[in-house]
This record gives sequence, C-alpha cells and structure tokens, in this order.
Amino acid sequence: MKKILKQVFTCGAALFYGGWAAPAAQAYAFNMIVPDVRQPVVVSGGSACPVKARQLTSGGGIAIQWSTALSTNPVTIVTQNQTASGRLTEIEQVITQSLAAWTAVSGATLMPATLKPLTRTATQNACGSDGLNSICFDQADMAFTPGVVAFTRVVETDRLGIQVGSSAVATQLGQILDADIYFNPSSSQMTYATPQALAATPTAYDLESVLTHELGHLLGFSHSAVWGAMMFPFAPVPGTFSGMRPTTQQPDAALGDDDRTGLRVLYPNTADTMHTGSIRGQIFPANPLALPASPPGVTGVFGSHVVAVDTASGAVVGATIGGWSCIAPGPAQFDGTYEIDGLAVGHNYTVYAEALNGAVDSSSISNAIVPLCRNSTTDAGWPPLQGCVVPPVNISFTARTRPGP
Amino acid sequence: MSFVQRRRFLWILFLAGLGLIAVVASATTLARLRFEELAGQATAVARLRCIGAQTRWENGEIWTETLFEVVASQKGLLPGPVTIRTMGGSVGNLHSRIEGVPAFRAGEEAYVFLWGREGEPYRVLGWSQGTFRIARDTRTGVETVTQDSADAPIFDPRTKKFQRGGIRNLPVAAFELKLRKALENKTD
Repeated sequence: MKKILKQVFTCGAALFYGGWAAPAAQAYAFNMIVPDVRQPVVVSGGSACPVKARQLTSGGGIAIQWSTALSTNPVTIVTQNQTASGRLTEIEQVITQSLAAWTAVSGATLMPATLKPLTRTATQNACGSDGLNSICFDQADMAFTPGVVAFTRVVETDRLGIQVGSSAVATQLGQILDADIYFNPSSSQMTYATPQALAATPTAYDLESVLTHELGHLLGFSHSAVWGAMMFPFAPVPGTFSGMRPTTQQPDAALGDDDRTGLRVLYPNTADTMHTGSIRGQIFPANPLALPASPPGVTGVFGSHVVAVDTASGAVVGATIGGWSCIAPGPAQFDGTYEIDGLAVGHNYTVYAEALNGAVDSSSISNAIVPLCRNSTTDAGWPPLQGCVVPPVNISFTARTRPGP
Repeated sequence: MSFVQRRRFLWILFLAGLGLIAVVASATTLARLRFEELAGQATAVARLRCIGAQTRWENGEIWTETLFEVVASQKGLLPGPVTIRTMGGSVGNLHSRIEGVPAFRAGEEAYVFLWGREGEPYRVLGWSQGTFRIARDTRTGVETVTQDSADAPIFDPRTKKFQRGGIRNLPVAAFELKLRKALENKTD
C-alpha cells in the first residue's frame, strides 16, 4: 500500500518522478552480486540481474563462533571484570547483545531462533574462509595496517551448489557462505572497551558499537548514508557510544529506522503485514545532455541517495541508492529507478533525493555499486547481451524541492 | 513544521550528533590518519600506474595482488614494479569482499601510501586513506587528486564547523607540494 502525502520533486538539474511502477532496484545499501550466467540455468537462474547477498536463515540457522584468544601485549579488549573467566563472560555478553540488536527487529525472518547458540573456540586464528562465521580479536597479520580498526570479510557465491570449507552448500543465489569479523590486535593505539569499561577507558573504541556495525556487514549490509543508522560508515569517537544502548525491553535500540527497514528488505518475512509499503520512482536530469555519454545506455541519474521520511514523526525510515532497474534476463539498466521497500503501511511519507557527495560518498558503498555489472572484460566468456558497465555515480546534480500533489 | 524547517532541524540534529565524532572521525573499520601521519608512517609513497591484478587462495583466504609500474617515487626505495596485496577478490564462483579495501583498474594511476615489511608485498596504509586517485580532465588535460576516504567529515572545534576530512580534486602540483611538506616535517 502506498501513501504519500507529499512527494518532493527535484527539479532544476534533476527531475524526480514518484510512483513509477517499473521493476526496480531494491537496494538500500546491500552487498550485491550478479549470478554467473555462464553456468547452466539450473544453478545460475539464467538472469544477470543483481541479487542481494545474505545469510541463509532457513535450514538450521546461522552459526557464529568467537575466538577467546585475546591479545595480551598490547591488551586490546578492555573489560571491567579482570578475572580470566569474567573477561570472557563480559565480552560474550557484548557479542550477544550486538546480535540481539539485529534479531530483535520485528517483521524480518532474522529472529533469535534463526541463530544457533553462540559458541567459543580457543583457536587464535579462527577466522578464515572455512565456512564458519567467526569473530576474532587476536588474529594478527591479516590485512591490517595502522589506521585499520576492524573489518568484516564476507564470502558470497554467484551460483547454487557451491560451498566453502564446511559451509552449507549454497541453495540461494548470493548466499553468504562465510563471514568473519577481524579486530586489529596489534596496535596499542586501538583498544576496545565493553560498555562497562568504557567510562574508565575514554581512549578505547566502544566494542558494542563497532561489533554491531560489523555484524550488519556479516548479514549482508553495505553502508548507509543515513546519519542515524548503525550502518553509517563512521564510528563514534573513542570513549563514546553514539546511539542508544540496548535494553531488555528494546534490544534493537542501537539501530536506526533505516537499519530496521533494510533488514526487513534483506530478510523479508511474508507473515509481516505491517511493513509492506513500497515507494518507487525514477530520477531524470532536467537536461538529458547531462547524462554521461559513457558507458552508453544511461538514461537516468545513477547513485542518488533517495530518502523516505515519516511525515508524522520526521524520522528517516528508509533510504536507498537509486539509479537502476533490472528485468530478467538482465543486465541492469541504469535508468534512474529507485525503490524503497519495507515501509510501514498506514503512514505518510515525504521523499527526497540528494547527491552522494556529503558525509558519505560512493567509496563507502562500493559493494553495493561495483558488483551491479559483469561483462567479458571482468569475466571471460560473459555473454555480451547480459553484460553491462556500471556508470560513475552522478553527484553533479542539485535538487530543488516543491510540494507534490 | 514545514518540510524546509524539518530538514533544517534534521541538519541541526546531525551536526550535533557529529560533534561526538569530532576530529577523530573514523570509518567503522578505519581510524583517522592525518595526512602528515600517513606520510610519516608510510614505508614508501609513489605515483603508481596499475598494470593488472591476480587473485588467488592463500592460507585460507582469497587475496588480490595488484602489480604497478612506478611513475614517480616520493618516499622510499622502489627500484622496480610494486606489488600491493589486499584481502578479498574473486576466484571461480566465490567472491570475497571487504568494504573499504581499495581496488585498482588496469591503466589507473594513483598516489599510494605503501606500508609493509621487508620481503612481503606492500599493503596500502590505512586502506582508503592511503589511496589518492588521479583523474585527468579529458578536455583540459588537468590532473587532480582525490583521496578514497575524502568523505570523512571532521569537526573543527575552533571554527565549530565541519570540514571535509580528506583531499578532493586537488591539482597534482598542489598535492605534490603538500606531500613534500608533509615528508619534510613527518610525524609518526
């Protein structure tokens, strides 16, 4: 059900049409992947349309282990409890709460029961593309350099029937087969404190903030350009927690509405009748000559940030990176299309578009943009008719707003 | 409240929120390195031209090794082609991804702040922070430099204003001058 009290139309350099009903890009900012159409249809689906990368929520659930090996020189994880077992309990509590932030979101198939019980491993180097989702606090010398705090490495597949290590065999296109979270253990300038220890350690990063964000990557999120979102690509300054701490009553308090909406889109629950609203449209430049000549075929503004605001509350409830659509057998068409899904019905929304040249730019969401196309240059033997080239993100437009109907 | 007023209110909220981020604004995976820190901590700094990349499994991970021709070296001894190793890449039907790891296309040029240990391929110092891509205006031929992490907002407590944290569209000559100054006054 669509209810748009007031739509904001951009004009001047860009024109923005709401309510367009073409099949559309459904990306907020997720890791996207194009199935390998060189493979038989039975394992590739035969379409070069990008799909969202995500964990398999059915068939046994998502297993996550964490390595209890902690760096001692320097000590990088600061806890209030200094006993050996107390430290582990305190860290595990943070992991559990960070996971609960995501599983507590209503209207998604990701639920507490979707996760297998969190397990511990004493193995120091537990992270690796072995089919086990792992969190490592003391795995040295991976890709770290000074300045790198933590990262999540996600392994996805573009065809069915593939597995990595001991992972399940892929039964969905874009299935995440392994995702590991690495914390830099080798720098005395990078310490992480549990919520209990943060106040006494103002130079440390809040472990819960960083971990909750990284778990978003583990689930398939790229970054969000929404300021209040957990997936906004900038962490709070050391010694602080930027959002709300989770509570027993509201374990997902740390998330923003954009995170919740994105999760509902990424892990849709067909039983959810509340968040079925959808707003679609296209964004065109006022002057068609403003479109890039290369690659050919670009007919709309690509890479704009389209935001839905709940009219009553003023809250940003969802946003997407617009600019493309795809109809099987593909490839993606860069026609300015956007789609914001997972919106609560019965609400009115204001929609606006902005260029990705503010606090977040396209380099922060490369996994949502770069993988939209494959071609014979990137992949030998790729069928030409299903190949495309991702155009540069258009940041040269400005948007003027006026009330809609 | 009109839409314009609401947006203004949201901006104020945003600016107030970013006040918490302040000078050490960082990507989730990255801690902010100032340009002088990059220059000081880099093993080598050079203008490189990407020749090509190879991806392979090694020690249970997919790694990409990208080969570069050295166009000009600003710091460190780089006698021959440079290999940069980054985690992630595609092998067969598996795609290993990490947000923020720089990737390069053949023919692309960039100033790269290299970090490494003897006998190992280089890494890019601070990932996107140590990557400064060169763009050439096809009409004028003017080259400019933009840092991959140029989006990081930094709050200046003196002026109480936010400024872009990185380098964006800086002419090559100005960038090289800035780099020379940073290298002369390097701070670790």
